[in-house]
Order: sequence, then C-alpha cells, then structure tokens
Amino acid sequence: MDTLFNPFSLKDKVVVISGAASGIARQCAISCSKMGARLILLDLNGVGLAETMKLVDSPEYHFYSCLNLLDYDKVSQVIKEAVNQVGKINGLLNCAGISTTNLFKITKPEELDKFFHVNVYTAYFLTQECCRVGNWAKEGGSVVFFSSVAGNLGEIGKSTYGMTKAALLNLSKHLACELARRKIRVNSISPGAICTPINMNLPHMKDPEKRAVLEAQHLLGLGEISDVANACIFLLSDASRWVTGTNLFVDGGYSVK
Amino acid sequence: MNEFLNLFKEAIEREDEVRLEDEFRKYDEWDSMAYLSVIALMDDKYNKQMEEAEFNTLQTVGDIYEICTKN
Repeated sequence: MDTLFNPFSLKDKVVVISGAASGIARQCAISCSKMGARLILLDLNGVGLAETMKLVDSPEYHFYSCLNLLDYDKVSQVIKEAVNQVGKINGLLNCAGISTTNLFKITKPEELDKFFHVNVYTAYFLTQECCRVGNWAKEGGSVVFFSSVAGNLGEIGKSTYGMTKAALLNLSKHLACELARRKIRVNSISPGAICTPINMNLPHMKDPEKRAVLEAQHLLGLGEISDVANACIFLLSDASRWVTGTNLFVDGGYSVK
Repeated sequence: MNEFLNLFKEAIEREDEVRLEDEFRKYDEWDSMAYLSVIALMDDKYNKQMEEAEFNTLQTVGDIYEICTKN
C-alpha cells in the first residue's frame, strides 16, 4: 500500500473560510488544518474566531480577522493583507450565513433585504475579492458555496432562507463557467439537518417528537458537522479536480424521496 | 497610462505585464470574456462605447488606450 497516496490532501493549500467562529465552518477550519491547509479565517465574532484558532492544528500558520463581510472595502483590505501573510488563495468556503423560519404571508421587504445581503451579497463579493488576479493562485483551485436542502426543495416557513440558498446554488453554476479559464472550480454543497451546538436548542431538534419526524425524513438520520466538513475537503482537494458547477447533497438521503 | 495598463490587466485577468505595443489578441488570456471585460472597462471608466466591428480593427493595447483617452 502506498501510504503517501492521498488525493484529499490540502497540504500547503491556502483556504479562506467565512463564518469560521462557530458550527460547520469551525469544523471545516479544524478539518482543513488537519489535512495540511493554511487558513484565512473570517468572522464577525472575534471571540468565537479566537476559540477556533485554539482548535486548529498549527495555529501559527494561519491568519484570522474579525470583520463584517458587508463592509466590502474592509474585506478587500483584509484579503490583501492575508494573502501577503499566508500566500495566494487555492480554496474558498463561503460558509457565513444566517437562517430563519418565517411565513411568506408576513415577510417584510426589509427582512428579504437583510437575508439577501448577509447570505448572498457577502458570499458574492468575498468570492469576487478572493478571485482577483494577484489574490488567487495561478494554478487554480476551488470555491464552495454553502447552499442547503432548503435551496433545492420546498418547505413550510423556509422561503426567505431557501431563496438565498437557491441563489448561491445557481451562482456557483454561472461562476463555474466564468472561472474555468483560470482553473478555478466552483461548486455548491447542500447540507440537510445537522446537529450543531446552536441548533440543538431549536424546537425542531430539542422537542423529542419533532426531532423524531426530522430524523425520519433523513434516511441515514441527522448529520454531524464533520460530515459536511469532509465533503468540503473533497471539493477543495485535487480529488475533485474534474468536478465543477455541481451541487453536492450532504443530507443523509433527505432529498432522495 | 499606468492606471490604464493596470485596469486593462485586471480586466483581462492577466498576471504578467501588459505593454502598449502588445497585440492583445495574442495574450493567452484573450477570449470572449476578456473582450466583454474590456468593453465594460471602456464604457465604465472612459465613457467610450464601441461596436464589435470597430473594436475588431484595433490591434494593440495602445490602440485601446488611444480610444479611451481621446477627447
């Protein structure tokens, strides 16, 4: 057996992760660091980011910055600074986002604005900044947008969130076309219900009856944050070098039925 | 002129240097997207609109620079 054969290695790849202060994004940071990546971690929550930095392997190799991704000028400045410090970018995980459950009939325009700005605009412009010539590595790489099963399928109370996630899914297909000439692959990932410290206290997870219904909808039960992080490693690594413009369901079979 | 060269370079997403005497169609980066980006650059930054037929007569980066900076 060739013990050096590892097409999933991220050794010396520079990976940007937004929303890295908690949840799935934090696990992505931990897992990517274990696979050898050098990280650029971004989040509004400085305390959470500092905590993530304690959990990653070789923290001295990484860069982190507490910033508001809606402050596009600051994003531009921070990415340049990070590239100077860590190196040109090979991968980007657009994890940052917010979720909500609200009904169509009571949704206000300002709520839609907020969700599109936080979930779509930030990912759009962070990707634009990272992909600038001079910031992105000449040999190409991989961009991943975090969509959701709610961005693919219908559900009560998820229209606002689902629309933003559908936008990211579609965006990834268009960018796959535009960025292929620079060997930058662009894909989206659509997680199902994942157990995270934050959502364990939400009604659909906490209430045993509601949780049982949710579990039954996922053929393999509910997911763990490492399930999503491992899928991201695949999409960031050379193992997926011929994969672009696709959407990877990581949902324990939720979308099959 | 340097500002134009930098903007042009960014528009066509070229890492290597760009010079006025270069024939831009010979760049590896030159394709339909680069063309659209340059047309957008000319319009946005220099308020110059150009039909494809007219653009097709341009040969060098300097030809584009001249159009952009002409009053």
